[in-house]
Amino acid sequence: MIRRAWRPLLRRPGGVFGLAVVVLLVLAGVVSLWWTPFDPQATNPGQAWLLPFQGGHLLGTDRIGHDQFSQLLAGARETLVAAVASAAVATVVGLVLALLAVLTPRWVGAGVVQLIDLLVAFPVLLLAMVLAAVYGSSLATVVAAIGIGFGVAVARVARAELTAALGSDYVLAARAGGARTGRIVRRHLLPTLAPTLIVQLSLVMALAVLAEAALTYLGYGSSPSSPSWGGMLHEQQAYIAARPLLVIWPGLAVALTVLGFNLLGDALRDATDPRLVTTR
Amino acid sequence: MTLFLLRRTGLLVVALAIASVLVFVLLRLLPGDVAATIGGFRATSEQLASIRAELGLDRPLPAQFGSWVTGVLHGDFGRSQLNGTSVTGELGRKLQVTAPLVAGAVVVALAVAVPFGTWAAVRRRGPIGTGISALSQIGIAVPTLWLGLVLVLVFSVELGWLPAQGFPADGWNSPGLALKSLVLPWIALGLSEGAVLLRFVRSAVLGVLDADYVRAARAKGLTKAQALRRHGFRNAALPVVSILGLQLATLIVGAVVVERVFTLPGVGSMLVGDVGNRDLVKVQGEVFLVVAAVLVIGFAVDVVHRLIDPRLREPR
Amino acid sequence: MRRLLPIPAALVAVVLTATACGTGGAADPAAGTSAQAATPPDDQLNTAATVNVRLVLEPSSLNIFSTSGAALDQILLDNVYQNLVSVNPEEKDKIVPQLATSWEQAPDGLSYTFHLASGAKFHDGSPLTSADVVWSLQQQTASGSKAVYGAEFASIADVTAPDPTTVRIGLKSRDTFLLWNLTQRGGVVFKKGTDFATLDGAENGSGPFKLAQWNRGSSITFQRDDAYWGAKPKVAKVVFHYITETNAANNAEQTGQTDVETAADPTLLQPFTSGDAFSVLKGTTTDKYTLAFNGTKAPFTNPDVRHALRQAVNKQDIVKAVGAGTVIGSSVPPQDPWYEDLTSIDAYNPDSAKQLLAKAGFANGLQLTLDVPSIYPTSITDVLVSNLKQAGVTLTVKQVEFPAWLSQVFKNHDFQLSLVDHAEARDIANYTKPAYYFGYDDKQVQQWYGQARTAATDAERDTLLKQVAKQISTDAASDWLFLGEAHTVVRKGVYGVPKAETSNRFPLANLAVGK
Repeated sequence: MIRRAWRPLLRRPGGVFGLAVVVLLVLAGVVSLWWTPFDPQATNPGQAWLLPFQGGHLLGTDRIGHDQFSQLLAGARETLVAAVASAAVATVVGLVLALLAVLTPRWVGAGVVQLIDLLVAFPVLLLAMVLAAVYGSSLATVVAAIGIGFGVAVARVARAELTAALGSDYVLAARAGGARTGRIVRRHLLPTLAPTLIVQLSLVMALAVLAEAALTYLGYGSSPSSPSWGGMLHEQQAYIAARPLLVIWPGLAVALTVLGFNLLGDALRDATDPRLVTTR
Repeated sequence: MTLFLLRRTGLLVVALAIASVLVFVLLRLLPGDVAATIGGFRATSEQLASIRAELGLDRPLPAQFGSWVTGVLHGDFGRSQLNGTSVTGELGRKLQVTAPLVAGAVVVALAVAVPFGTWAAVRRRGPIGTGISALSQIGIAVPTLWLGLVLVLVFSVELGWLPAQGFPADGWNSPGLALKSLVLPWIALGLSEGAVLLRFVRSAVLGVLDADYVRAARAKGLTKAQALRRHGFRNAALPVVSILGLQLATLIVGAVVVERVFTLPGVGSMLVGDVGNRDLVKVQGEVFLVVAAVLVIGFAVDVVHRLIDPRLREPR
Repeated sequence: MRRLLPIPAALVAVVLTATACGTGGAADPAAGTSAQAATPPDDQLNTAATVNVRLVLEPSSLNIFSTSGAALDQILLDNVYQNLVSVNPEEKDKIVPQLATSWEQAPDGLSYTFHLASGAKFHDGSPLTSADVVWSLQQQTASGSKAVYGAEFASIADVTAPDPTTVRIGLKSRDTFLLWNLTQRGGVVFKKGTDFATLDGAENGSGPFKLAQWNRGSSITFQRDDAYWGAKPKVAKVVFHYITETNAANNAEQTGQTDVETAADPTLLQPFTSGDAFSVLKGTTTDKYTLAFNGTKAPFTNPDVRHALRQAVNKQDIVKAVGAGTVIGSSVPPQDPWYEDLTSIDAYNPDSAKQLLAKAGFANGLQLTLDVPSIYPTSITDVLVSNLKQAGVTLTVKQVEFPAWLSQVFKNHDFQLSLVDHAEARDIANYTKPAYYFGYDDKQVQQWYGQARTAATDAERDTLLKQVAKQISTDAASDWLFLGEAHTVVRKGVYGVPKAETSNRFPLANLAVGK
């Protein structure tokens, strides 16, 4: 099913763009593990406030001499980890909650549904604040908050999909044939869910990139001394009048990445759901 | 209908009860307490113990929870452990910034989303429809905080029209200054929210355009615009209103970020500060009210939906 | 759509102009002056004026007896409350008369006699007598007292009032710190019988200003006490605005919402140094940004590691990153009488740092975690990370909220490295307490400090304290990154603004506004 989705995906400009951005992000993140033009954490007061291209600094330096291009590359790593890890946490949280809601006895399931509705009302930000206060600010804190926060939303979608699948003929047939719950989940429910889940996850990744930038900006993310796009925005905001460009780059990077994940998600949905093709 | 209302109200009450326990327990996990904030560097452990005793922090947790909930049921959300101000009073003052901020942002969001979303739907196949959709995609992708910074760059740093940050010290007593300092936050929050809303407006209008009654009206000789005006808008408004209700939670969180970007003294900055001080009674009051607001809005949206949409009513 | 288009266009324009203005647009290390325009004669002053002052940290309560925090001292000392004696930060913390016009020390140093100013009275109109002083000091020394500074008065044996204008303090042993401690909040004179629980949001001090209004979360207003017993203040009202963010504070100063901006960020003074609408005053502080080692834990039990870390950090780089400050070689600022230049001890030397680390067995690198409250500029930790990397130390910076720092680092000693601004004046005694979070335990230092306290003369005390300062530095008990510098922006036409140690106390007695 997924393999067949490739070709329609590449036929859409949005899909091509989204894929290109994501590939670029991965490349930047991976390359930065071994190589950046300068050490992204190195400070050098003698090289402070350089303009783009001055002294070999492609995007210039900030007020303590951080090379902005290197920081941007290293920041891609942070964004990538946040996106992938949050999506993973969200998948686990979402699947567990959704399966609990549909497979357990009715009164337990109803309780889980209520819990999901309640947790949706808990803003991700509050969760991040509490987690950061308990365990200290870190990337893990942000990932946990985003993963749990959006996992609840994934659970909602997954539950609806699973409820439909449970009523389908082939599941009923499998049940009648005496298949165990575990086998039904593995052989029938999860494969049915996969396309929806993949689309949801690419959207969760987009939201995670946004949320990570905002939370790091607010000071609940990774330490200010490790390069991240939200952290760069935080650090440069005070000097916006003196050096507007330094605020532009990290924001542009976030926007481009989110756009990429969103377009990829849309294209995936269109490609995997034949019903949507006609209404477009 | 009565049955539905009863059941839905019951659910709301249960949800609020669970929320109060969750908030209370979550906050007790935080390391450090308000006694340390009051005592500071110099306090001896005996002094800290006496501060704790005075504030009732040494009582067992269920007892603390009990007295808090009793207060809440009487409309008293407690007092700051740090300086004795009442949570409701403080919240009321901070809402003087946050409420206009959120309300203004909703207005901006609707002003962007409704006309452009409708336009995009009506011209869905033309360059205008595609263009608006593309712009809304970009609008969704741009982080609110960065949009705020770019607005500051253009309208404060370059043009010098509006203040970059801050709120007048005497608040709404200098209405001109207060309004001016809210303009950029409104636009930042409103555009971000508007971009999200626009897509819902577009698909709602699209759905209506394909509906039989609009087709019938057009067959009668009405233009697309006339048909939409006579029959479509009320139907399209339904899903948009409920989405807006759901988005309020997101808006409140967005407001926290925008308050930070523009250093506005609103609910968000107060919350961040109170968590920092471990003023837990205040924090739990504030968090509970935010969560309760979201739950109540969800309840209201459900009920309104039921009332407006005849299809959802159960047969009598 | 049409409305949306101009934004990207304007953006391009901004980017271009910003690129064009070159390095001149960036904040250069702060220009500023320590001289302030002389206050004009009284007949040219507007005595009905209100002065708006930006401060940073709002006090959580105004109970100066039991609530700690410099935010209370800053506004309340000298202005609302008074002590027997006070200090003048502008003159290297010289001790000056306040409620006592004169005092003498007994030849054996075991008692002090203070003579009160005549006419002193509280804001409720009642006269301030020696009975009030005696009662106030007794509240500090009482056992189980909640007074923040109570422990500082352990040397006091008894306080008596031979007559209504004389106070005699008898000591168990000589105490060269007594006068200093009397200038701090422990020496505040309350009206006899004051119920301290009422002081959270009200006062009955004897100072030139009265508390008029407190808008929690934004401002505190002081009003001139027209019945003040001493020289009347030259302005009618002072409003303290609490603005934490620097840019917001700059904005408030530029738009005229404030007249005086304390604690201005030295890297962002550009709008005030060009033109003559403002002047920027530079002054000393007692803000010792201290990189603390957990001395009781490996690897910091090894002196080589401590010295290596000190030598690996380029203090000049940090000062440049922060924008202003002084490099200090120990925990003593230059305005203290026992200051001497110790910056040559463990001076910046990355090669030697590497060798020392290799000697300690960390030739292949060392992983360390730094806990830092989230209120300090990140540029400090940025430079630390970069510097230590050069020496082969991988530093992980963990930002924590201040209460969490207090419980985790300060109380439970659960840390490796910690960075905190030790802002309190004359707090070198922290290095004599083995149970303090530094975990520094040196019997010689403790002995010297004890001897300094009971020294016969100030000169003898200063010599001993110099030895203490030098010893903690040669032992690398901590690293001292820099001493902060206070920058105060003053609108033209405002005179008599305090400029030194403004976060410790902000005396308003000389504040004036021209007509």
